[in-house]
Amino acid sequence: MSKIMEWIDARLPVTELIKSQATEYPTPKNLNYWWNFGSLALMVLIIMIATGLFLAMHYKPDALLAFNSVEHIMRDVNYGWLLRYMHANGATFFFIAVYIHILRGMYYGSYRAPREILWWIGIVIFFMLMGTAFMGYVLPWGQMSYWGAAVITNLMSAIPVVGEDLVVWIWGGFSVADPTLNRFFVLHFLLPLLVVGVVVVHLWALHAVHSNNPVGIDVHEGKDTLPFHPYFTIKDLYGMGVFLIIYCYFVFFAPNAFLEADNYIPADPMKTPAHIVPEWYFLPFYAILRSIDFLGAFSKLAGVIAMVASIAILFILPFLDRSPVRSFRYRPLSKQLFWLFVVNAIILGWVGYNPPDASLFHGAIPLILIGRTCTAIYFGYFVLLWLITALNIEKPRPVPKSL
Amino acid sequence: MRLIKTIMAVCFAVGMVPAVLHASSGTPIPPAQKWSQDGIFGSLDKAAAKRGAQVAVEVCMACHSISLVKFDQLRQLGFTEAEVKSLAEVQGRTKTDRMNGALDETSAKDAFGVVPPDLSLITKARKGYEDYTYAILNGYLSDAERELVNKVMADGSVSDQEALELQSALLINTHDKDHVKATLERLIGGASFNKYFPGNFLAMPQPLNNGQVSYTDGTENSLKQLSHDVVTFLSWAAEPTVAERKSLGFWVLGYLFILTVLLYAVKRRIWAAVH
Ligand code: HEC
Ligand code: HEM
Repeated sequence: MSKIMEWIDARLPVTELIKSQATEYPTPKNLNYWWNFGSLALMVLIIMIATGLFLAMHYKPDALLAFNSVEHIMRDVNYGWLLRYMHANGATFFFIAVYIHILRGMYYGSYRAPREILWWIGIVIFFMLMGTAFMGYVLPWGQMSYWGAAVITNLMSAIPVVGEDLVVWIWGGFSVADPTLNRFFVLHFLLPLLVVGVVVVHLWALHAVHSNNPVGIDVHEGKDTLPFHPYFTIKDLYGMGVFLIIYCYFVFFAPNAFLEADNYIPADPMKTPAHIVPEWYFLPFYAILRSIDFLGAFSKLAGVIAMVASIAILFILPFLDRSPVRSFRYRPLSKQLFWLFVVNAIILGWVGYNPPDASLFHGAIPLILIGRTCTAIYFGYFVLLWLITALNIEKPRPVPKSL
Repeated sequence: MRLIKTIMAVCFAVGMVPAVLHASSGTPIPPAQKWSQDGIFGSLDKAAAKRGAQVAVEVCMACHSISLVKFDQLRQLGFTEAEVKSLAEVQGRTKTDRMNGALDETSAKDAFGVVPPDLSLITKARKGYEDYTYAILNGYLSDAERELVNKVMADGSVSDQEALELQSALLINTHDKDHVKATLERLIGGASFNKYFPGNFLAMPQPLNNGQVSYTDGTENSLKQLSHDVVTFLSWAAEPTVAERKSLGFWVLGYLFILTVLLYAVKRRIWAAVH
């Protein structure tokens, strides 16, 4: 055995790679459980690709056959229901993991130097993930699939000059129809494989600069770190156990909790549902899109720009935050802003869930006003974070010199 | 910790708000019924589903299809092969056929203006699920309620007192008097009124009545019983694999639970030296 390994290592240093990048890879010893969500996201990615592959063997990307082929998977394919429910709920748990992963980075300043490129790659992954989830939701070809696709692709028409032609090009016709479904299937198959590639680069960047930690200071290798194996392999495995328990509870006992009832009605281009809602993980951004409705003819374009900007703004976060301290643990004002941001995002999600013309207390507070306020707070987070750090308004508490 | 509490309070408040919101929209929420298959320990009442299959074939399939199920599959509910054959014959089909209804699209459109929806997934395809379908079947006006409507409309106007009575009988929003009057006029004109259908008027005349189907097992055949049975059947038809899913779920969760406890113990052990 060791002879064979020697032979291989002389030609391809596998043992060396495993040692330096996995087993002996130095990891800060004070990482808390919020650091589990990267490996959890990776686990879900693998689950999605595995289940997706087998679903694709039975699914038919054809407007006339798609809906029934999903029901064929649910009813006739051995454990087809398991594949489908794992995949559908997997998307939800992917976003849960990634949202916590991103918020962890925002709270502990993981986006700060020298981790900017690592952070940017993460955001690229997030964009790709949103695209993948959106197109995946179209595939069952239910009412929400169809009308969700129609509403979201239609947004492209707001782009000046080329918008209208662009939409026709994306649809492959003059409405969402069979060609749209077919290409979305191809792209939904392709994108996650590209995500794997980008995740490799993400990890490459991580291993170049190493993990941040809850204290947010640069660590001294050896004194402050532990080898990844066995300390973090076991911690990650334990985290996966807990995460899988919650995930499997939904897969087996409440598989439709995150799915819309309307999507069990076959797509009907002649019949618009009373209320079109995207999946829960898009709701905050959907609310931002709809809250820009006061600019007349420019509202649609402005809404689209605001929606894209609400995520793209994460790219410049490393430059907005000027504090000498990374971790919000020692930054009282930033910490409050952060929690305001989190609660605000939840309220935005709720606004996005409700019809645009809804109101609270029989018309006393139109939801659109709440939506606009929350959109302002959302972007306000980034402006205020910059202000309080650039103008030295925040006085950080003393930070430990070592772990 | 204070932060966590605040967040929890906000989430709770946000959770409450839909209740406030919902109250202002028109259609009442279908009352919750007891379903044997509900909950993680629930399992389908097969006898009820079997009776429900009879109701579906004899009544609903005059207009609706249940095309994702084949007659043969009814044997999973305890029908014998001969019984399945004779059920299929009710619709002029054989046992290997899909449960397609008697009405074709054109005649359906002529008769009702719409094609009755396929019922295979109906309990999953409406908010309220089983409760909704049950509420629809029981949401038509009773004789007493019909009489009340006639009484109110006898003089062609609706007084405040009458509006109040209508509110509790018909479950409609009585703040808008014009709407109430228009509703009553359509109702008297013979349109099908249903308390739980969004917009109240649907193309389906009351499909099920007291005593409409007679059971061989001696179960009473009130409207409540018939509709509860047929909805139990439709719930099975919407996802015949639920029982398999739940029983596998117990093994998977049990396994994961033990595994996770062990992983936690190992984790404590490995980290003991560091802490
Ligand atoms: C006389 C023909 C007829 C019979 C019999 C019939 N239906 Fe219907 N049903 C319809 C029509 C037509 C519609 C479409 C109503 C509409 O959309 O306005 C409908 C709609 C429905 C709906 C959907 C309501 C919604 O939310 O869109 C349900 C549920 C339903 N029927 C259940 C049943 C059940 C259960 C039975 C058997 C007990 C049954 N129907 C028997 C004609 C019928
Ligand atoms: C498919 C999605 C993703 C996967 C599989 C993934 C995977 C990982 C893994 C395994 C780690 C190392 C463990 C950890 O520190 O948690 C990591 C670190 C990191 N990820 Fe991701 N990630 C994903 C998406 C993202 C996104 C969307 C962002 C941000 C926008 C992001 C930002 C980061 C950062 C900043 C780190 C370094 C963490 C630190 O050391 O503080 N990742 N990622």
